[in-house]
Amino acid sequence: MLYPLIAGVLFGLYFSLVGIGLNLVFGVMRIVNLAHGDFLMLGAFVAFGVYTAAGLDPLVGVPIAFALFCVAGLLLYWILVPRLQRARDPEMLSFILFFGFSQVIEALTTIVFGTSERSIPSRELANSLSGVRAAIFGGEATNGPFQIFGLSFPASWVVAATVSVIAIGCVYLYLYRTRLGTLTRAVMSRREEAIATGINVDRVSAAAFGIGLGLAAVAGVFAPFMFGSFTPAFGIDATVTSFVVVVLGSLGNPLGTALGGVVYGVSYMLVQTYLSSWADLLPYVLLIAILLLRPSGLLGRRVRVA
Amino acid sequence: MIGKASAALAAMMMLATQAYAADAPSEIKIGTLYASSGRYASISMPVHSAIKLWVDQKNAEGGVYVKAFDKKIPIKLVAYDDQSNTATAATLYNQLVTQDKVDLLVADSGSVLTAPAVTIARDHKMFLFDQTGTGASFFSKDNPYIALMADPVSTIWPKPVADFITHDGPGLGIKKVALLYSTNEFTGTQANAVRKFIKESGAPIEIVYDQGVPTETTNYTVIINNIQAKQPDAVIHLGYAPNDIAFLRNVQDVGVKFKMLFCIYPGLETELLEKNVGAKGLQHVFTYVPPQELEYPVNFGMKMADFRKAWDEKYKDGKIEFGFNSVAGYTTALVIEKTLSVATSLDQMELRKAVFSLSGNLKTLDGTFALDEMGGQIGELTPLGQLELNEHGHIKFVSIYPHETATGKPVYPRP
Repeated sequence: MLYPLIAGVLFGLYFSLVGIGLNLVFGVMRIVNLAHGDFLMLGAFVAFGVYTAAGLDPLVGVPIAFALFCVAGLLLYWILVPRLQRARDPEMLSFILFFGFSQVIEALTTIVFGTSERSIPSRELANSLSGVRAAIFGGEATNGPFQIFGLSFPASWVVAATVSVIAIGCVYLYLYRTRLGTLTRAVMSRREEAIATGINVDRVSAAAFGIGLGLAAVAGVFAPFMFGSFTPAFGIDATVTSFVVVVLGSLGNPLGTALGGVVYGVSYMLVQTYLSSWADLLPYVLLIAILLLRPSGLLGRRVRVA
Repeated sequence: MIGKASAALAAMMMLATQAYAADAPSEIKIGTLYASSGRYASISMPVHSAIKLWVDQKNAEGGVYVKAFDKKIPIKLVAYDDQSNTATAATLYNQLVTQDKVDLLVADSGSVLTAPAVTIARDHKMFLFDQTGTGASFFSKDNPYIALMADPVSTIWPKPVADFITHDGPGLGIKKVALLYSTNEFTGTQANAVRKFIKESGAPIEIVYDQGVPTETTNYTVIINNIQAKQPDAVIHLGYAPNDIAFLRNVQDVGVKFKMLFCIYPGLETELLEKNVGAKGLQHVFTYVPPQELEYPVNFGMKMADFRKAWDEKYKDGKIEFGFNSVAGYTTALVIEKTLSVATSLDQMELRKAVFSLSGNLKTLDGTFALDEMGGQIGELTPLGQLELNEHGHIKFVSIYPHETATGKPVYPRP
């Protein structure tokens, strides 16, 4: 019982990172980025490139992917979103637009890289930090399994979970300790009032869109380690899971995503242990359950009205 | 008088032959599907690419010989992308039959994407050239419209694995077996077969873990922990290539060393698995020995070395790995070519008759093509082998079972 619980928390923290970008974008702009998983997939290719082409630790891909996709997000925002926002039903139109965008990204990536599975050896992730780990926790300076309460877990999971916590912490600091973050929360809470008070909603939204895409790409850096391998078609599944995590926590509340991710992760590991054949159904069961029992999500009411 | 009659008969036969050839179509339409993306792309694209290679080769020679018209006719490959989606595949198979009116229907690779074709082919009385769909439910006595081209049917495929465990296992100390499989027609059938073979053997083997997981599973860490808790002497994992990649990586990541570990795809798609899992991660893994390692005697088509050379020349970019599935695609093409050279018409039942006439006689780079009465492939068997590293650190196959084809002894337990 302890093993699936710990594994679920590690796995779930990673899924918080997978979902948080999607939630930030929805919270600010009320548009659903169905290409979210494809940006995650592109982040995986950044890590793959950093490792295979440059021979560097894939962890180096984290700042590169974040910066690269933040900029890409800003550009995309100015190209796509203002037009979308002027539509009569931007939420519905965003489904169609970003679904199409997702297909284009997948097709182009397939043409360039082919369809085969790719991965990066797990021992290469944070290999440069294995000396630090040995100094803190003892043992050899190798990137072998990580021991928690005497149980072995993949070191890459611990690294991914740690980076996820740091990323979620950064999003929290951004939202609650910066001026742009305060404006972002204002837009998330009451968009029309924010416009009325003179907040430059486009600037706030562009920043949120850039950060959202950047976070998706950062999550993608760890995808080869969390999912065994990745292909250009990997984005759709990632989008579905992100959507579940986001709805579970609360749509529009980035901090709820952290909780949603952990609930999803622990549930997944428990189902894999006791009802393994049904594990695939979990995202949909959770989605239906949360929509029936608490449509606003686990943290919905408190934060969205505050 | 006799001379005049003979001349008249010869003239009539010549005229008949000319008319016969004049009725010939300008091309033979072969309809198929492939998955350029999604979960089955890595097993579909090599199969499809091999067929394309054969089509290009034959068309460069003026086409394939078609006995029904006594001439060479170019091939037109009508191929659509099902994107690994069974619903899309069903629509496209229907389109191939009803709109494109193809002469020959060839299924996509793997049981999951073959399943929709089986029903559609049967409903339209089209003979299905099933490339690698090995699921047991496809083959029945009341369905004459199917034959399996290139893989052994799943009900017998894992026999060498089960036989090794039940015959040699007790002597090695194998008493407890863990069975983990993906819940689809291909690996589900293999799991049933393993269970059946072990039970029927009467050997003192107990299956201590027997679980199915969804085919889309990408994470096995908790499952590996659960298997380890049962302390099995042998673990049999039956999944598709992405399942094997994730499973073998997770085994390494948590530092578990099962005494014996069997997986399907390290043998079938060795290049792909080595690229993703690493040679070290594949060391000591038990798997099927593919035809690439066996050099079967050939009486039709290219030998393995020639096929490999042709493949490398055509697909220089290396985006699609050479492996068991590329051999399977080429084997399908050879069966089609040979079928057209013996079938007296393109009637679907005549095509079936022609395919079955090849059983036991056609020897390709994939082994002896042999069918059972229901169309299941029983000839192209793959022995059980174990992957070891050679002196350069590269993967090499050691054939373990059956003993008559063995090239070495098993390393058990895994060091």
